[in-house]
Amino acid sequence: MPIVEALGIGKVYPGGVVANDGVNLTVEQGEVHAVVGENGAGKSTLMKILFGAERPDAGTLLLDGKPVHFAGPRDAIDAGIGMVFQHFSLVPSFSVYENVVLGSEPHGGIKFDRDKAIADVRALSEKFRLHVDPLPTVRSLPVGQQQRVEILKALYRNARVLILDEPTAVLAPQEVAELFIAIRSLIEQGRTVIFIAHKLPEVLEISDTITVMRQGKTVGRVKSSEVTEHSLATMMVGREVALRVDRAATPKTERVCEVKALHLLNARGNDICRELNLSVRSGEIVGLVGVEGNGQAEVIEAIAGLRAVDGGEIMVANQNVVPMSVLARRGHGIASIPEDRIADGLATGATVAENLVATKLRDKRFVRGGLLDLKAIRTNAKQLIDKYSIRVGGPGAAVGTLSGGNMQKVVVARELSEQPKLLLVSQPTRGVDLNATQFIWRTITKARDDGAAVLLSSADLSELLALSDRLLVFYRGRIVAAFINRADLTPETLGVYMLGLSEQSPAELQAGVA
Amino acid sequence: MSTVVPGNMKPLTRWDVARREIVRAVIAVAIALIATVLIIFFTSKTPVDAFWTLLTAPFSKTRTVGLWVDDVAKLTVTGLAFSLVFQARQFALGVQGQLYVGAIAPTYVALSPLGATWAGLPLGILAAMLAGALYGFLPGLAKARLGANEIVSTLMLNYIAVELCNFLVRVALVAPGSGLLTTAKFPKTTLYPVLVPNTRIDLGLVFAIVAVLAVWFALYRTSWGLKLRLVGHNARFAEYAGIKSNFIMVSAMTAAGALGGLLGSMFVQGQAFGNLTVGFEGGFAFEGVLIAIVARNRPLAVPIVALFYAYLRQGAQLMNIRTDVPAEVISVVAAIIILLVASSFSLPGLTHLRRLFRGATPAPAPLAGGAPK
Repeated sequence: MPIVEALGIGKVYPGGVVANDGVNLTVEQGEVHAVVGENGAGKSTLMKILFGAERPDAGTLLLDGKPVHFAGPRDAIDAGIGMVFQHFSLVPSFSVYENVVLGSEPHGGIKFDRDKAIADVRALSEKFRLHVDPLPTVRSLPVGQQQRVEILKALYRNARVLILDEPTAVLAPQEVAELFIAIRSLIEQGRTVIFIAHKLPEVLEISDTITVMRQGKTVGRVKSSEVTEHSLATMMVGREVALRVDRAATPKTERVCEVKALHLLNARGNDICRELNLSVRSGEIVGLVGVEGNGQAEVIEAIAGLRAVDGGEIMVANQNVVPMSVLARRGHGIASIPEDRIADGLATGATVAENLVATKLRDKRFVRGGLLDLKAIRTNAKQLIDKYSIRVGGPGAAVGTLSGGNMQKVVVARELSEQPKLLLVSQPTRGVDLNATQFIWRTITKARDDGAAVLLSSADLSELLALSDRLLVFYRGRIVAAFINRADLTPETLGVYMLGLSEQSPAELQAGVA
Repeated sequence: MSTVVPGNMKPLTRWDVARREIVRAVIAVAIALIATVLIIFFTSKTPVDAFWTLLTAPFSKTRTVGLWVDDVAKLTVTGLAFSLVFQARQFALGVQGQLYVGAIAPTYVALSPLGATWAGLPLGILAAMLAGALYGFLPGLAKARLGANEIVSTLMLNYIAVELCNFLVRVALVAPGSGLLTTAKFPKTTLYPVLVPNTRIDLGLVFAIVAVLAVWFALYRTSWGLKLRLVGHNARFAEYAGIKSNFIMVSAMTAAGALGGLLGSMFVQGQAFGNLTVGFEGGFAFEGVLIAIVARNRPLAVPIVALFYAYLRQGAQLMNIRTDVPAEVISVVAAIIILLVASSFSLPGLTHLRRLFRGATPAPAPLAGGAPK
């Protein structure tokens, strides 16, 4: 008998977005069950329904063959379902064990029994080979460890079924391997894991069974042993896809962006980077490689004007942009696709049309004498919606009602509606489906082919390898390795430098950085 | 989530959202009224009379209709002032202080030699709006430059304005030793012309209507308004897009201050008062918070909400005078409405009912959805 079964699940969000439409999911006891599909296929919604965070409008949920109704996550947790979200819900200043037991603390009388909590967490961590020390604060842990704290949280509440929402999105290759060891150990001990992912090689490696979703429907349930990456990708998008981008040969002569001796400080006054030098030429994509938090994102923010610079120069088209305002830098030809589209790149409550002109409010086409030209704004939106095939009801729809991939297309459309001199890109396809990924890759590559200098930062190594002309590896705010991108460059090679296990000699570095 | 919409599931249009909001507001008012009925039945000796008075009294005489309309005009302006800052996501609560300085300024104009000339009226209004704007600008500047929390600074400035009015009336504007708590009546030349004879309906109503249109236009037709709303939606995004959010914040608070100042002028230069009295406002300015919340900060919805709420307020006042139920009952109504609207309530059991009837009738739009963020 399947442990979890969802039959004919339907869910329509306010705003009319049909997220699930007759979805079926059957998960057997003790398997790793992957749910794959483009973003916008409805995977996350289905998982939220399983976890009680959303209520379905139609369909039934069976647990151990019996129908269940979850009023909220509490009910689901009590029934033995645990979920680790993509964005962790941890208290950074609390220790690991405090985070794990929070809400179900062991107690003697009214007193919090810390010793028992520590012992429990340590035992749990050993039992499932998660290797997490209960004592340090969560803030001090790398992302991979924090994720395991989340897993511990679910296990501490006796989760029999563990849902992992894109767990590998934030991890370095080595950390992914460790996560998979933990998942296998969970399975050995009779737990069931539901795993959501975009990256097909990982899915094939870890899962036993795969459910494929497309446009809110389930399109198939297959054994991992019986499919290939290619056939899976075809199922997901409903047609053949090529996971590479073709690009033109460009001259790469003019140095558009030169960062000289850049010094950045974080809020606590510690160095993010010091004496950092790099340059980007026109018609070239430079990939910034590194585990998150090693300074690559901050360097991009500093160039965009969103972070104060504590020393050094940033030359763009032969002009130091450090004293310039964000608006002036945009006028100077800098466009940027930020890391977190919801936090930085969009106003989700505003309409698509408004978001598409937000950076152009000095443009005579849209604003004259302080008045908005609503007609031009609408036309502009319609054109961009068409050109970038953004799936949306119309220019007047709120951006918040769009799927992740379509939101990202709105950002890309706005930033690339005019050819930039320097394009800054962070995590362009995080949480974005295959189809939109292809599209965004092609768009960035086109900007490069047309002569833009592109600085790309991404947690997804395959993305960096697919797009970049050169790669710079960041570790603790320094560039520790530089490569000209060639076919024989592998993620594993980069991983060694990303984790600080090795460092190139100055001569080798010089060859790649220049 | 797919935006592909099969069959009968259409995306919600602006009108659907507006309709949903209206239904929510009406249900909130209905629930609040039911609670009021209960309170009246427990506290009054003549509950039927009292409730009837609450519901019909504003329409009983021309004069009471005038009271109602005057209240609508003033509630609209305070509601607009709050809507403007709330849309920029500034929780500035300074309308009360702006109202007081906006009342003091025209008093000086009115009691000066200029007050007796034709210039008294426009100068008074101008002085009120400038004073209010300055009083809105100060906490904005303090926030932009020093990071002062606008809730705290505006509330403190409110006290200063109230006590300043208190002090000036007692010490400077009234003959010392007279013990009066109100200034002399202003000259006729400084007062708002009456629109409907024998009522309080005066020029203030015109100002309220103009203010609604002006705020709507500023918010939805100018680039300043779009920037303001973008700052309100997501200040980090605004910064990233190159919008100077500090400038927008300060200018929004200044513009709202001018509206608050105008309201002060509507009080003291209007037919209701025609002079400056200690504590004349009685906490009126804060009713704008309720108006703005129920209207979801939409300028065009503000006068509609004001229309209903002013009616209830006047009904309660008249119930207070004509029956044994105190006017404070209206606070209960207001509190319930705010709680229900602000909490994006859903009726318990509604989903259950809907599930029962699924298939038989199409499900109505969910009440719990709320407006898009």
